[in-house]
Amino acid sequence: MLTDVITPDLFAAALRMATPLALAAIGGTICERSGIVNIALEGTMLVGAFFGTAVVLVTGSPWLGVLVAVLAGVAVSAIHATASVNLRTDQVVSGTAINLLALGVTGFLMELWYGHPGTTQPIKTLQPVFSFGAMGEGFLGEVWRWINGVFLSHTPIVYAAIIIALATHWAMYHTRWGLRLRALGEHPRAVDTAGVSVARGRWVAVLMSGALAGLAGANLSIEQVGVFQEGFTNGRGFIALAANIFGRWTPIGSYLASLLFGFADALQIKLQPFRDVIDVPPEFFLMVPYVVTVVVLAGVIGRAVGPAAVGEPYKKE
Amino acid sequence: MPDQRAWMEILQKVGTPLISALLAIGVGSIIIWVSGYDPALAFSALFKGALGGPRQIGETILRSTPLILAGLAVGYGFRAGLFNIGAEGQLMMGGLVAAWLGVLMAGLPSIVVIPVLLVMGPLAGAAWAFVPAILKARIGAHEVITTMMFSHIARYIVSWLTAGPIKAPGQIPQTVSLTEPAQLSRIQSLFSPDVVEALPFLGLGRAHTGIFLAIVAAVGVWLVLRYTTLGYENRAVGLSPWAAQTAGISVQWTTVKALCISGALAGLAGAVEVMGLHHRIFDQFSAGVGFTGIAVALLAKNHPIGIIAAALLFGALSAGSGTMQLEAGVSQKIILIIQALVIFFVAAEGIVTWLIRKRQKEAVSGAN
Repeated sequence: MLTDVITPDLFAAALRMATPLALAAIGGTICERSGIVNIALEGTMLVGAFFGTAVVLVTGSPWLGVLVAVLAGVAVSAIHATASVNLRTDQVVSGTAINLLALGVTGFLMELWYGHPGTTQPIKTLQPVFSFGAMGEGFLGEVWRWINGVFLSHTPIVYAAIIIALATHWAMYHTRWGLRLRALGEHPRAVDTAGVSVARGRWVAVLMSGALAGLAGANLSIEQVGVFQEGFTNGRGFIALAANIFGRWTPIGSYLASLLFGFADALQIKLQPFRDVIDVPPEFFLMVPYVVTVVVLAGVIGRAVGPAAVGEPYKKE
Repeated sequence: MPDQRAWMEILQKVGTPLISALLAIGVGSIIIWVSGYDPALAFSALFKGALGGPRQIGETILRSTPLILAGLAVGYGFRAGLFNIGAEGQLMMGGLVAAWLGVLMAGLPSIVVIPVLLVMGPLAGAAWAFVPAILKARIGAHEVITTMMFSHIARYIVSWLTAGPIKAPGQIPQTVSLTEPAQLSRIQSLFSPDVVEALPFLGLGRAHTGIFLAIVAAVGVWLVLRYTTLGYENRAVGLSPWAAQTAGISVQWTTVKALCISGALAGLAGAVEVMGLHHRIFDQFSAGVGFTGIAVALLAKNHPIGIIAAALLFGALSAGSGTMQLEAGVSQKIILIIQALVIFFVAAEGIVTWLIRKRQKEAVSGAN
């Protein structure tokens, strides 16, 4: 049984499952580093997935769908930015409203455009970037099978997520933007005193998180599932926030934490066919990602401390 | 001018929620219109479905009942600075325990069964909030994430149990119906049919006595918040944990109590929904009531009595939305959009306060 479970596609699935979480988690990291909590990631992802799917249904172009998903994410996050930066509303409340709005708008448009609730027609999806066959024999052949299966079998956004994690991590610690971003979340007054606009910096961060959540939605609909389904983000936005905390508010940390959650998810899916052997109801498998999230948050790693000024509206003197 | 300031305060307290609700409905009708429907037809259908007659009013009362309790749950948490976004999960657990125990206790008289269910449902809700509460108090794990995760877990527990271990015979994944002694009776059945015929306004359809429980709970929460040490500590921690700590209040213990009481109220909502309406549970019987509770609490600014009014508004929208879909073709999802807009407009009250302050400032500088 073990050899049936521990296969290249288990790890490939972990990478796949980690991707939407990681993109949203990095979005959450950037946003929280600037001092803004974004619990709207869930809804932003959903809206991105919906409009991305709608565009693919009309144009037949998955790439155009991805672009529109990102733009939709940016648009949704602009609402959050207006509310939390300019109007100084409670950020968690604004995020809740956006999540509700996302459910409402996608459900409403679903019925308006497609005449029924639930799931859209299947769409043309993005295909894996590479397609290598089997190579070599014996041990080397096996090694290649693993490398090819785990790392070279993916769709574009899966690779994009890894690049984004590395690039944002580098940028956060090696560029002026990164320094300012971190300062915004720790001590906005200092940033303001230095003559840099707090509002502008936070706006940019919120919009970036929206773009990433939109991309996460595109990955879900245009790469993974191949349809849009009402509410199919299924709490991923919140798990992403947990991944951001577990990853200690760093992009690479967020990615690695997402990989852990992705692996848990991949494992439960992989184990489902063995239900009869282990005799556990399927619902217990489906609970795994949520249980793992709570366990991780419960501080396997001890107490995590976020940016000092996170969640506090900044008021210019 | 103190009277003007007092007037402003009242205006802000009652006015902003009212304006927010009206604005949200206004934007909702614009969306309906842009989508190619007739807003006048839609809203008249909505109105008819919610308040058109005693049976429709009964439907509004029916929908408002769990919303009052869920709103109280979320509101009580907010008063302690806690955001119980996972009330939905606690509600499911309350309903689950009520449905399960109610069937186990079949054959016992109402006077025994109903009190037991009304205690055990809230206990289940409190238990479901307990772990997030402890995690929040001890290590600061954010309750928004943990209660949300517990909500998803509850969903799978309900779908597992209703599909297997406690499934009623037959095709549908649901539990056996509660017997009559375990049910909350319908309001109209409190009167003899002759009386209902003579006084048609008593023919409240499916509305059940749970509404009285909900109102009692609202008054109870109001009294607790206003007149007890428990409520005082709750509010103190909500206003400033640091100040409360300095004053000798245990912030951790208050946090645990607040989230558990919040969970208990949500559990009561689930139990009442099962005992009064469904008489059983099935997958997704909670229908998002816990999430609507967030909108209810925010619209009422967490005031228990205001929560009754806010719940009636959302109950009416929900009751009327079916008729609206049927007669005007507008998707019921518009109600979710309106709820979200209400939250926005209430939360963005900052604009209103800001405008008032600005005008006051201008007035002051003008006087100089």
